[in-house]
Amino acid sequence: MALTALEIYKLLPKTNCKDCGFPTCLAFAMQMAAGKATVELCPHASEEAKETLGSAAAPPLPKVTIGTGRDEVILGDETVLFRHEKTFYHPTAIAVSVSDDLPPDAFGERLRAIRALSFERVGQRIGVDLVALRCGSGDPVAYAKAAAAALEATGLPLVLLAPPGPLAAAADAVEGSRPLLAPPAADLGAAAKMAAERKLPLRVRADGIGGLYDALRAARAAGAKELVADPAPGDSRGAVEGSVQIRRLAILSRNRDLACPTAFDLGEPFPEPFGTAALLIPKYGSLLVLDTADPADILPLLTLRQNVFTDPQRPIQVEPGVYAVGNVTSSSPVLITTNFSLTYFTVRGDVEASRVPAYLLIADVDGMSVLTAWAAGKFTGESIAKMLSGCGIGEKVGHRTLILPGMVARLSGRIEELSSWRVLVGPQESSAIPPYLRRLPPAAFLPANA
Amino acid sequence: MTVALPEQRFPGRILPVTLPAGPGGSPVTVGGQNALPCTPEGERPNLPAVGMEVRTGAEELPPSLRSAIGELAADPVSLARRCVSEWGARFLFLDLSLCHPDSGGRSVADGAALAREVLDAVPAPVIVGGCGDEEVDARLFPAVAEAAPRPVFLSYAEEKNYRLLAGAALAYGHGLVSWSPIDINMAKQINLLLADLGFPADRVIMDPLTGGLGYGLEYTCSIVERIRLSGLQGDAMLARPVLCHLGDAWKAREASDASETSWGDADRRGRRWEETTGLACLAAGADLLVCRHPGNVARLSGAAWR
Repeated sequence: MALTALEIYKLLPKTNCKDCGFPTCLAFAMQMAAGKATVELCPHASEEAKETLGSAAAPPLPKVTIGTGRDEVILGDETVLFRHEKTFYHPTAIAVSVSDDLPPDAFGERLRAIRALSFERVGQRIGVDLVALRCGSGDPVAYAKAAAAALEATGLPLVLLAPPGPLAAAADAVEGSRPLLAPPAADLGAAAKMAAERKLPLRVRADGIGGLYDALRAARAAGAKELVADPAPGDSRGAVEGSVQIRRLAILSRNRDLACPTAFDLGEPFPEPFGTAALLIPKYGSLLVLDTADPADILPLLTLRQNVFTDPQRPIQVEPGVYAVGNVTSSSPVLITTNFSLTYFTVRGDVEASRVPAYLLIADVDGMSVLTAWAAGKFTGESIAKMLSGCGIGEKVGHRTLILPGMVARLSGRIEELSSWRVLVGPQESSAIPPYLRRLPPAAFLPANA
Repeated sequence: MTVALPEQRFPGRILPVTLPAGPGGSPVTVGGQNALPCTPEGERPNLPAVGMEVRTGAEELPPSLRSAIGELAADPVSLARRCVSEWGARFLFLDLSLCHPDSGGRSVADGAALAREVLDAVPAPVIVGGCGDEEVDARLFPAVAEAAPRPVFLSYAEEKNYRLLAGAALAYGHGLVSWSPIDINMAKQINLLLADLGFPADRVIMDPLTGGLGYGLEYTCSIVERIRLSGLQGDAMLARPVLCHLGDAWKAREASDASETSWGDADRRGRRWEETTGLACLAAGADLLVCRHPGNVARLSGAAWR
């Protein structure tokens, strides 16, 4: 458990010597409790204090890095069980598998398909993070060649699912790319040594939490440092419960032995791989290996990941500005709403559903919903009038009629006062937009005759 | 090595609520648990239940639903039968959108008669949803409450209409779905208002509004988790079964747009979109799911072990 400032203070020398850079020991303790200072700053701390405070400050779930540079993947380093408590930091990494014994054409085609699993959503790029290379050949030379080809073709970091011989050959072939070594459970000893020597992350697979406890100890004893735990579940329920237990051991029990990011191989013959993946994304899975490269499977999973790992304190915002929905003309209606992404997508969806081409003005209110922005004084008659004159909508349409969200009907007078625009009060709920737009008299949007 | 596993024990327990069935049907009971979802500890006497929506108004179906239920779209009674007998829906959500001025504009009497017809045709528990037009629903719910030959749940009661719905439900022995717009305080408030009217707590299920995958689902997941945590920690007004209606999943462009070929087959993608939305809701703690794709009843029920 995280220590309070007073608990930390009791472990300090209490001399107020200022050597740490803070005016008093208590001030230093408060900074440590807030996670803004570490015990190393105090040159006089006892060994006991260093040990206690050092481990209290370490993240409850260690971080493991796979790959390097732009495409590096970070697993773990999480601090809570529920995203509303703070946020989830490191999105579940998705690896799609390919086997080294595919015929060359099929192998290349599969890599292209994996590389294509990248999409643009809400202004963010979401895609598959890793290639999981299965060793069907059993041959170190073939496997190493396939590893080099997979890295070359996709640029994505690799998960090397192979026994020690091929594993070592492939690790050499892609040296410097920091793959995750993922040996079968029985080959842990040899692979752990390999991970220690090459300073590579290692997936430790063993049956259940008890099995993992022993296996992780063995891997650490062999010198492997960055470990990812796979409780080798046989079904969906086993996978989700294993994942939940490992996260709770890390966060609630502060169990240092089992605190690891998790990995799950949901490939053949794992039953219900898709459904299991969709449960493991919100339920703490750090790395998932999937056999499917079908975008109809991958896009929903990546979208779920994007949702779950959105910081609840910082809503996704859309770029403010003028958005055309459908084949707009100079007599299309103009609606205004705010740049909170959920507001934007809801309103946009409803405008699309109306099949009435329209302009959507998205006001910059720091990503708040209409009512929140109004209450915070960011969505006002003044700000809307300013947007109307500055965003260029006046050149796009001939009329001067603005449809205002019904929730802020009270702003209409001020807008009409400050701009040359007439205000129509729209529906209170976005869902009522389609019938509303369909019933608008076209005369409302005839060119303004000065 | 045997490792001591952490457990999260709670003082509260979710109130069990039963959706009653007709003669020969199986009622659905949810709630009763005193633990979080996806954990091994605690008691959970009732597993989450998956039902299907039967829509009645005119609408354009996404490709995935067109191929699965398109031939039955104009025949809600047959659709209701198939949902229960063939696809395994444990309850139905009958949406009376046919009374909405924009999707048929049928009379309130027609809506109530259709509800009666469906209730006579299938023995499964039924939740009856309004058409979404405030003025029409104010007449529709009392008519349905009176016409229903057996107890149903009316969906939904919110701050604007709860007196009317509670009155209609109390008079004829129905239950209520209490609705709030992804807001834990409003979720509690509507349950308090119903309690103040003397509405029995074991005839209320909560609908915290379910955003579709990619369109606000994360807000729903967090609200469901917070409702569940508060309920288990002892807040009786939130210790209620939660219903997630997955209808919004189908409003996503990704669930219906067949023109974007890089997104894969629209049929499969639509089904997956709803399935993924439902699985995330289950992981958060939902007790009742309402889906539209027949294939998703079994898929979601299969994950309802928690």
